[in-house]
Amino acid sequence: MSGADLTQRDALMRLGASTAEAIAQVLEMFAPGAVERGEVSVLAEGASAFSGISRGSVAASVSYVDGVTGANIFVLTSAGVRKLAQAMGMPAAEGGEDAELSELELSAVGEASNQMMAAAASAIGVVLGQEIAISPPGIRVLDNPEAAADTYGTSPHATSTTFLIGGESCRLIQLVPNAFVVRMARALDDLSAEQAGADDDRGGSDRERAGKAQTVALVEALTEIKLRVWAELGRTDLALGRALGLPLGSVVELDQPADAPVELFVNGLRFAQGHLIVTDDGEWAFQCDAVGGRTAADAITPQPPTSPLPQEEEGALT
Amino acid sequence: MARVLVVDDAAFMRKVVSDALASGGHDVIGEAGNGVEAIDRFRELKPELTMLDITMPEKTGLEALAEIMAIDPSARVLMCSALGQESKVIESIKLGAKDFVVKPFQPDRLLEAVGKALA
Repeated sequence: MSGADLTQRDALMRLGASTAEAIAQVLEMFAPGAVERGEVSVLAEGASAFSGISRGSVAASVSYVDGVTGANIFVLTSAGVRKLAQAMGMPAAEGGEDAELSELELSAVGEASNQMMAAAASAIGVVLGQEIAISPPGIRVLDNPEAAADTYGTSPHATSTTFLIGGESCRLIQLVPNAFVVRMARALDDLSAEQAGADDDRGGSDRERAGKAQTVALVEALTEIKLRVWAELGRTDLALGRALGLPLGSVVELDQPADAPVELFVNGLRFAQGHLIVTDDGEWAFQCDAVGGRTAADAITPQPPTSPLPQEEEGALT
Repeated sequence: MARVLVVDDAAFMRKVVSDALASGGHDVIGEAGNGVEAIDRFRELKPELTMLDITMPEKTGLEALAEIMAIDPSARVLMCSALGQESKVIESIKLGAKDFVVKPFQPDRLLEAVGKALA
């Protein structure tokens, strides 16, 4: 495999992983503790992205329509649709689990896809340094999965990521045009080059120096992007009924001991570990103990961040 | 308690929002499934508050918001955004929206934002 192939595959893996992370975050809001993220895979050229999908599955599609283009198709079994809809607040189907899916259940999955892909578009936009707009969702029951490619078209590249929602398997298929992969690869290349350049910023040809200058310009542009940052103390599972009826003064126990490290998330990516402190102004603050695999013991002198996201997010690439 | 128009392309979200509003004593006087319908229903119903989704077919929430504010500069509009649509939220506030709620939301958060928009 050539270097170019590696870069392209890396770009697709990063795209799949970033998307999966953002989607898992949104699914977790609907079904806390009931979501498992599976593997991201890059499909071989010519392979059908829709193989293995059972008849009657439901596909919710959302496209990137501005900034980049590409299709994202979230495929669920009808049981998966029902579980997700119920996690979002739909009552159990009157006709039992075998009843035909209602319009509201299908609409709920469309809305979930809209929210998931909005979060994913934001995460990818951070990597590319450009805002990405999404289309409204489209919902379709796949009576003939073999013909899905006719419906959604084909693309030179595709990724597939599996999820489990309440034990029901579902799959995100991303159909990725060449231009998208090239831009993603370029962004990752530039970030990698910037890191390498920090170690070796002397000498080299005019072309190399020009490349470094471009990289510095890119990184300067990236450093201006605003990111959503939050700290997480812990999690727990809570039935929707209990959550909605929590009385004032009730105590909800989380899954972390009081002295466990607090995790810091940046646009949905787990970014650092540390602990909370109180500033002189009486506000909460987060003190980093470990960032992207570096610990406080590794630090010689404080350095400003040179890239907005870690190059290898632990657990992001599987 | 206010007369509210609920606009979202997802029937599920229209129901979620309408149920939450009803639980807070508000009167949902109409619904619309896209930006074009939203403008028609706004002209027809003259709601005291409009709940407006951002990503919709035919005409986006931001386009509809701009037209609604042109029709009635004192219109009270509350945007419903998804996580990751912060820039569109900022744009909507600049266009005249009173506030926004991020989906998924709890009914209390929605009613709190409605209360502030109507204050």
